[in-house]
Amino acid sequence: MNLVLVFALAGLMQAIRSFQAPHLGEGFGTTLAFGYLLLTAYFAGTLFKAARLPKLTGYIAAGIVAGPAVLGFLTESMVQSLKIVNGVAIALIAMTAGLELEFREMRPFMRTILWITGVAVTGTTLLLATAVFFARPLLPFMAGLGSLEAMMIALVLGVVMVAQSPAVVIALRDETQAEGPVSRTVLGVVVIADLAVILLFAITSSVAKAFLGQGANVGATVRSVAWELFGSMGVGVLIGLLLAVYTRKVKGGAGLFLLAVSFIVAEVGQRLHLDPLLVALAAGILIRNATQAAPEIHHQIEAFSLPIYVLFFAVAGANLHLSVLATVGIPAVLFVVVRGIGLYYGTRVATALARAPRDVQRFAGFGLLPQAGLALALSMLFAKTFPEFGDAGALTLGVVALNELIAPVIFRAALVRSGEAGKLAPSSQPELVGGDESGLVDLGPEKA
Amino acid sequence: MALARGYTNVAAVPLQTAMWACQRARMIGAWRAAFVVLWLFAAAPVAVAQSLDRDQGPSVVTPDAGDDAGRVVPTLAPPQTRSEAAVSSTTQQTPAPPPSVPPTQRGGVIRTILGILALLALAYLGGHPKVRAWEEKLGISQMIAAGFPFVVLGMIAHLPSVGVLTDDVLVELDPLLHVGLGCIGFVFGFRFDLRTLRLFPQGSERLVFFSILFPFTLVWALSAVVLALVSPPQDASIFSGPLFVRDAVILGTAAAMSASTAKRWYKLGKASRLSVLVVRVEEFVGVVGLALVAAYFRPQNALSSWQLPGTAWLLLSVGLGATLALLTFAILQTASRGPEFLVLSLGVIAFAAGASGYLHLSSVVVTFIAGALLNAFPGEYHTRLRDTLRRLEHPILLLSLVIIGALWQLSDWRGWLLMPVFGCARLAGKWWATNPLMLSQEHMALSNDERYALGLSPMGTLAIAIVINAKVLYPGDSISLIVSAVLGGGVLTEIFVQRVHRRHSARLRNERPSPPPVTLGGVP
Repeated sequence: MNLVLVFALAGLMQAIRSFQAPHLGEGFGTTLAFGYLLLTAYFAGTLFKAARLPKLTGYIAAGIVAGPAVLGFLTESMVQSLKIVNGVAIALIAMTAGLELEFREMRPFMRTILWITGVAVTGTTLLLATAVFFARPLLPFMAGLGSLEAMMIALVLGVVMVAQSPAVVIALRDETQAEGPVSRTVLGVVVIADLAVILLFAITSSVAKAFLGQGANVGATVRSVAWELFGSMGVGVLIGLLLAVYTRKVKGGAGLFLLAVSFIVAEVGQRLHLDPLLVALAAGILIRNATQAAPEIHHQIEAFSLPIYVLFFAVAGANLHLSVLATVGIPAVLFVVVRGIGLYYGTRVATALARAPRDVQRFAGFGLLPQAGLALALSMLFAKTFPEFGDAGALTLGVVALNELIAPVIFRAALVRSGEAGKLAPSSQPELVGGDESGLVDLGPEKA
Repeated sequence: MALARGYTNVAAVPLQTAMWACQRARMIGAWRAAFVVLWLFAAAPVAVAQSLDRDQGPSVVTPDAGDDAGRVVPTLAPPQTRSEAAVSSTTQQTPAPPPSVPPTQRGGVIRTILGILALLALAYLGGHPKVRAWEEKLGISQMIAAGFPFVVLGMIAHLPSVGVLTDDVLVELDPLLHVGLGCIGFVFGFRFDLRTLRLFPQGSERLVFFSILFPFTLVWALSAVVLALVSPPQDASIFSGPLFVRDAVILGTAAAMSASTAKRWYKLGKASRLSVLVVRVEEFVGVVGLALVAAYFRPQNALSSWQLPGTAWLLLSVGLGATLALLTFAILQTASRGPEFLVLSLGVIAFAAGASGYLHLSSVVVTFIAGALLNAFPGEYHTRLRDTLRRLEHPILLLSLVIIGALWQLSDWRGWLLMPVFGCARLAGKWWATNPLMLSQEHMALSNDERYALGLSPMGTLAIAIVINAKVLYPGDSISLIVSAVLGGGVLTEIFVQRVHRRHSARLRNERPSPPPVTLGGVP
């Protein structure tokens, strides 16, 4: 049935798109794209679920197929217009991650988390840098660089390619209803690694710039990174307090308020050079650890987050330029493999050193494989920072594209194999946005 | 373009939050007008700060003056931010802001946080029982419930001195308006049931016919006369052939429609059911009028790949609505959980609104047809869909009202002139339609209360949606005048009707000391 509906939607979309009137504004196309992508991605997710694959891979796949890269139902301008949901989605996902991080519960895992961050993430960064350095013959953009310069660029690329994805981890955890040491450890690692990668990128890119003779203002870099990290956390704490006070004092309509706050965090925060992910994460952590509002806010997020998540991953898919794989396919596959090996075995070593439970040793490494928002951000940032290495941006985007498609499948399988999938009881039916107000429009009595 | 989009995002923030504030205030019965103004004042500096920030360029590249030009300081804004594309092409050449956190940023943060805190405080105050009592005392609670403060909010936000909802921003918010129109059409369609027409009491045909005909004719005729008297000769095109007919249909259709609000004031007999039925028929007629306007007056574009006659476009509207109803019916069978239902409902409404808009058809008409058919189809989804729509339509509708307020062109004085003309002519037409002399005395003897309820009815949301949809289809001066007339006339009507009903019901209460609770039974 779902497959029939996907085809029916595609047929309708094809028919409608055959009407081409030059006077039409972009607004109609965006609305059409919004509805089509939401429905198609949802059904693709259910089809993937039936095939024992992650729903979010289905969302991404739907975006790829419907997007400019394959069928072209969505034009570039439509995809660009739909990106308005990204900021809200990232803020909501980060807040969810923060709400999951209760220090008291996380304490037993902290040792493991820090070991994994130190050994697996940092180690894999170095491993990837080494791989890039020795794979120079495959990388035309590295031609002509001296050894030291090549080493520095390789190091920056290593940082870019090692980034993980809290968004995917949260989404898969929710989807599989996973609960246990593996999922908790992975969540902790991807959150802390997120901070570490931001810091590492700032340091390595500044150093690389200096080595490439473009100069670096260390003081300014430190101030900027400090503002981004600590400023974001400070604002996040304030937002968390605000949400907690609201939930306690005002109560009703919390869903809409949360949505508005997420929008502000995403849009205003970004304009103020804050990291929306960190702001929302700090807010979530504060709410979980210092207030009683966590269950209510979690409940509210669950109520309206599904359309936003579906659209977020579908738009991410539509935005993937698979054509880059044609040019950088071989090195991209090589680095995906190196990254996978590094993270997996690095995690095994780190968890062994931390004397983590056996399941964590076996399966936690798979949770570090998915990539999405942060990795894409770093890829684009790299391309802007080092425009002279334009092809490197395509390479890192290619790595992200492959990981975005493959890694969720692997992590989902790991959660199932670890026995944690299905252990989290689904919450009761949440209140939707708008609460229980009576509508402006009288819908009349319920149908018998 | 991309920069404009980036600006839109930022400018939409105060709007979103103000929306929430008003939503909040409505739910707890608050001081909405004050909210709107106060929050806009609180939000405007943020919007300005953001627009200044936009002008400074992106955060990712922050070259210093001099030797450090082009130096990069990493900032991890989400990669998909819409200003990125525009930014990427200029980052290498354009001077950028200084590296450390500039004072404007800190000021922006402080203002943002203070704005949010002020909002929280206002929401808290707005829910206070004393404020609610004050609202009741002033007699503005129903006015607020009708959503008109949101129109005013949009109007204020559009003012150049506030500059939140600028024309560029409105272009970017187009999709929201389309989804809003689609949602309104779908909701009204879903509550429409052709089978209820059988419930009309005998002899009520005249009442229905006159309550549509009189306001339609009076509004159309008086507006035409007023416009003919005051319009300069160069605007004679307003009265030319098809354009005049089109505008007459839109204006008359909007005038003929009303909202069933009598239950707020009176305990009615047979008229309670009748008033609801009349409103349903009016809504149906309104949608038919809009369908005709969309089909027969569409611009002929030689470059368009589909060249069809008007009747074919009309049939296409019906066919698209039916197809989407069937598709939605099948889609809704697959959902089991609440959030899934939300995804599918939202997706279906957006798809229907987008598809109709893309074909230059009326989204209100197409979604109305889809909703009405879905209501008629068998299945277990009705309750869940009704519940989802009830929750979904509220924020979407309020947001649409804000955009509609911003679309309101206040600069043309003829619009201001048409407002009272529209309001008075419409009320006169409705009142006249319930005149005992017009009705069949044998079956339709209306009591005084019933006449008040049927003859003094305010305008409904669908009427506003219809004129806005017409404006979306045919952007131009004459439709802007109609929008002004309908919105302004709607506000005036609401105020007048509430005052009259309040006084009349108070008089009735004095005559009958302890009336039983007000109920509206047997609504179909």
